[in-house]
Amino acid sequence: MFPTSLQNGFWAITLILLQVMVFNHIHIMGYATPMPFVYLLLMLHSHTERWIYVVWGFAVGLIVDVFSNTLGVCAAAMTFLGLVAPLLRDAFMPADRGEDGITPSPRSMQWSGYLRYAATTTILFTSVFYVMECFSFFDVVRLLIHIATSSALTLLIICSIEHIRQNVVRG
Amino acid sequence: MQVLLDFLRRYNYLFLFLLLEIFCIVMLVRFNRYQGYVWLTASNEAAASVNGVYQDAVAFTRLSEVNEQLTSDNIRLQQENRALRDALRDARYDTTYTHRCVLKQLQGYQLIPARVVGNKVQVGMDNYLVIDRGSADGVTAEMGVVSGGGVVGIIYLANVHHSLVIPVTHSKSSISCSVRGQDYFGYLQWDGSNTRTAYVADVPRYAKARKGQVIETSGFSSVFPPGIFVGRVNRVRNAPDGQSYRLDVVLGNDFAALRDVSVVATPYKAEVDSLKARAERLELNEAGAP
Repeated sequence: MFPTSLQNGFWAITLILLQVMVFNHIHIMGYATPMPFVYLLLMLHSHTERWIYVVWGFAVGLIVDVFSNTLGVCAAAMTFLGLVAPLLRDAFMPADRGEDGITPSPRSMQWSGYLRYAATTTILFTSVFYVMECFSFFDVVRLLIHIATSSALTLLIICSIEHIRQNVVRG
Repeated sequence: MQVLLDFLRRYNYLFLFLLLEIFCIVMLVRFNRYQGYVWLTASNEAAASVNGVYQDAVAFTRLSEVNEQLTSDNIRLQQENRALRDALRDARYDTTYTHRCVLKQLQGYQLIPARVVGNKVQVGMDNYLVIDRGSADGVTAEMGVVSGGGVVGIIYLANVHHSLVIPVTHSKSSISCSVRGQDYFGYLQWDGSNTRTAYVADVPRYAKARKGQVIETSGFSSVFPPGIFVGRVNRVRNAPDGQSYRLDVVLGNDFAALRDVSVVATPYKAEVDSLKARAERLELNEAGAP
């Protein structure tokens, strides 16, 4: 339990720092901004209580907001994701997960299952994030481009992180 | 109670989510200028919409009261409008040259102002007028009636409060008239062809009548004083007997639009009538003597 919490803490600090110091300044073609801190909700164990998802999402979102000067935007999106992430996880997870449960990863869910899980949560997060940021549907096309490109970039980074973690575990 | 507690315990994450989302949205609109502006605009629109619906509902409940007030105002305005139109008409009427001339001629005569309350104006038919003055106001039969446009007719029947007037547009009307500036006279009669025209018959052939000359009362009767405007000569024709002229006259009054008139009470009418009656009796006596 302790090593897992330590690992989660490490990834949380790393991803939040990367987000605040690096990813927030990336706007590819003026649209795509990676937000891989979503990964902090994806990596929670399947036995995690739902209220922990909600509180954890809110906390991570709030910290990112404080350092990004977008108070409330990330927190609202991450809190929402904290509510729906367990449902998505259960939907894409294999039925046979054992008594100890599993941590969502390509190894436990296969790449296809994990990709679908990660893609759905990422798209949901970016949708809520950009809707909260635009706060209107005046330019829907621009909004959709933002959501699509940012989701793709975020998903790419999440997959990279997972790849790194797998290599670390094997090494 | 236990069920409620179980429910709250089971769905605690849902309530937690709602609480945190509300907190996030409050932060969003409180600390972000753009979102705060959009929120303020939207909330103002929503509040204005709700207030509008409320005001509409309040106004709807007061429609009956407003309707009563509008009806009352409408009646008051209609009365005001009528009074103003009458005043305007009077003001216009008084300024006409003909009216001033008529009033000048009637100085020294008692005038009883009256209003036309019944008017039959029809070509080819015998017309009549009803005025709102009767014997109670001093009106008696065979009094003259004039208006701003000149001679109107003669009182035929006088009731207590109303009187019947035979206008010049009646086949039995016969008023002694003359051409202004000349002493020759004739009788104004109506042939029923037009309510704006009449004719003066029995004008001597040596009278110098021309188109446009003024026809006025001659004063040879006790009904009208001399010099009251009747109309203007429109055409001079030979009478059917060939011995005299017949003058077609355009009347000064439009009987279809006649409203305010005056009854002329001639001061010496009774005296003149008495003399005429005596003369007729004497003629009869002389005719009956062997």
